Amino acid sequence: MITQQEFMIVSVLLFCIGLFIIVSKKNAIQILIGIELMLNAAILNLVAFGKFDRANNGGQVFALFAIVLAAATTAVALAIILNVYRRYKTINPDKINQLKD
Amino acid sequence: MIPILSHTDAQTVSFAIWAVALPFVAFALNLLLFSKSKIAALISTTAIVASLVLAVKVFLSVWNAPVIHAQTTWFIIGATKVQVGLLLNNLSVLMLLLVPVIALPVHIYSTAYMKEDDGYSRYFRYLSLFCFSMLGLVVVDNLILLYAFWELVGFSSYLLIGFWFTRQSAVMANKKAFIMNRIGDTGLLTAVIILYTQFGTFDIQALFGKDGFVQISNIAAGMWAGPHSAIPAVWQYVAFAGIFLAVAAKSAQFPLHTWLPDAMEGPTSVSALIHAATMVAAGVFLLGRFYPMFTESELTILAVIGAFTAFMAATIALTQNDLKRILAYSTISQLGFMVLAMGVGAYASSLFHLVTHAFFKCLLFLVAGIVIHQMKHIKDDNNLDIDPQNILHMGGLRKKLPLTFIVTIIGALALIGLPLTSGYLSKDGILIQAFDWAESRGAIFNIIPYAALLTSWLTAFYVARLVVKVFFGEFRLHKANPHIHIHMGDGSRLYKGPLVFLAICSLFPLFSNSPIFYEDAWIYKSFLPSNFLARENLYHIVIPALINILAVVVIYSAFAIYGKRNAWAFPQTGLLYRISFNEWYIDRFYNRVIIKFVMWFSNVLYWFDKKVVDGLVDLFTNVGIGLAKLAAWLDRNIVDGALHLIAGIVQSIGNFARRFQGGKVQYYLYSMLLVVAVVFIFKMIF
Repeated sequence: MITQQEFMIVSVLLFCIGLFIIVSKKNAIQILIGIELMLNAAILNLVAFGKFDRANNGGQVFALFAIVLAAATTAVALAIILNVYRRYKTINPDKINQLKD
Repeated sequence: MIPILSHTDAQTVSFAIWAVALPFVAFALNLLLFSKSKIAALISTTAIVASLVLAVKVFLSVWNAPVIHAQTTWFIIGATKVQVGLLLNNLSVLMLLLVPVIALPVHIYSTAYMKEDDGYSRYFRYLSLFCFSMLGLVVVDNLILLYAFWELVGFSSYLLIGFWFTRQSAVMANKKAFIMNRIGDTGLLTAVIILYTQFGTFDIQALFGKDGFVQISNIAAGMWAGPHSAIPAVWQYVAFAGIFLAVAAKSAQFPLHTWLPDAMEGPTSVSALIHAATMVAAGVFLLGRFYPMFTESELTILAVIGAFTAFMAATIALTQNDLKRILAYSTISQLGFMVLAMGVGAYASSLFHLVTHAFFKCLLFLVAGIVIHQMKHIKDDNNLDIDPQNILHMGGLRKKLPLTFIVTIIGALALIGLPLTSGYLSKDGILIQAFDWAESRGAIFNIIPYAALLTSWLTAFYVARLVVKVFFGEFRLHKANPHIHIHMGDGSRLYKGPLVFLAICSLFPLFSNSPIFYEDAWIYKSFLPSNFLARENLYHIVIPALINILAVVVIYSAFAIYGKRNAWAFPQTGLLYRISFNEWYIDRFYNRVIIKFVMWFSNVLYWFDKKVVDGLVDLFTNVGIGLAKLAAWLDRNIVDGALHLIAGIVQSIGNFARRFQGGKVQYYLYSMLLVVAVVFIFKMIF
């Protein structure tokens, strides 16, 4: 029997790995992967806590919903990356510093 | 107290003032002229002629008449009222007359003599200033003014001796004359101050006049008692020493005589004036003015110094080869006679000798000027490398300069003191009185008159040597250089006139009816005290006879030695010769000992100044610099350091914070994470 705590640990690991990838990688695609990892950590939480929900399978439903949303955001993000690449001829986030004033 | 002057006296006083002032006016006018302007001579000569005329008038009205003493208040300090004025007595009017009488021929002579000089106007300017100083000196009645004119005489002689100031030797000579005279000036100033302290007045008439303060004061029991006060007697001796120094410096007495031979660097006409009537006469004149002050023993000192100076200078003159130097030493010698005469109480004879000496010495110098001038022409015409003043080059000039020769003979005879000349009258008077004086003293005092007697024979010898070397025999320069072109003559009337005038004045008729007895001379008689009794004793016959017979022998032997053969008659290696030729080593002594000591002392002072005084200042400087450096270090490191530290902190914070706003996505994320973590940690702790 997998305990709640073990789900949480996996989830935390996933979240931290994702966070680390986001802040350390120098490639926009890899950063996107990191974001996906963090999202999955959240979805795992949803599923794990759905067990204590009074309504049946509420957590799973929300998880599915989140996965769909994640797919959508990923598509949008990829599109942004594609545009960024067109404009800057790079996807290294350090080189893209137009966000400053 | 201002005595009321009668009309004629007032006129005399104003004449005297103008006689003194006119040369000064000429000096002031000449200052305005260019240095080559020929008008300068005219102005100066006119002034001296006018001075002479006025002086004659003053002389005629004052001579043997009551003393005229005119004065007015000069200034008042506290209770002291200083009077200024003129004192015209026999002594001052005699000098007042003598100065322009001698200066006039010199002026006339100079117009020709200095004709080609670049400093023609400057020369006459100085000459006028010189005459003014001397005239002022003789008439003032006040010790302060006397001192002022005394210094002016020294200063103007300085200007004249260094007239050719581009010559190194002239500059050295005038410096020497000036320093020597300054020593004398210090002495005179000391004496003036002491006299004022004792008697409370500067008035010469009140001090030295008949029944003046000096006459009533006396020295008793170690105190010098005056009419108002008594001070230790030592001050009287100090005052005498000061006066003696002053006289020695101006009248070139041992030990301050060495400036006079060097003063020959000036133009010869100036030498004539300095040696005759002005500069050197000032010392004897001062003795005459201060005469009542001297005590018996002080007069003896004067006599000893005078006799020694006369003898020493005569021995030096024996071996000198420079024409002007011989004459200079003869001047020193004759001045020694005058001081000696003052010392033995022959006051009248001393002043008489001063006057007669002025004429014949001026004459001899003017002759020397002509001879040197001619020699210089020969030198310049033929490009010879000779000293135009060296008598060894001369000889046989009597044929070329006939008039000069005749007047030289007259001047030389007067200098030797042979009968029919003025020199005989005055010099024999001094000798006779010296013997009288010594007789009343004791055996030891006989040295003085015998030294004087010997000196007068030496005088005969060196004068004869000079005349023979210059005017007799062959012209040695021509003999040595047979091919040279010689063209010489007596010169124009401007040369001849003064010579003839002075030659006539060097003969006896001007001074006395009788050519033999000095007691008949009018100048002599006027200065005698009324109670003087002429003591007719053996000396009055023996001494003149002795002097003159031996003098003739001496002259003849000089002719024999120098006239017959041109070689040296005496060994030039003997000790006596060397002493004489090197001027008794006095100059050398001064150079080696006194000047060396002064230089050493000034070096010590220089060292002290440099090391101690400057060292102290440098120390302060260094301390100041050190403090300033410390302050600078503090400023840079502490004050500025604090500011820099703050600025650095702000800068590093700024640099740190800047990174979060660099436009990089991931840095934004970092900061967000940081904030979240901070908030989380705070939540956990509190």
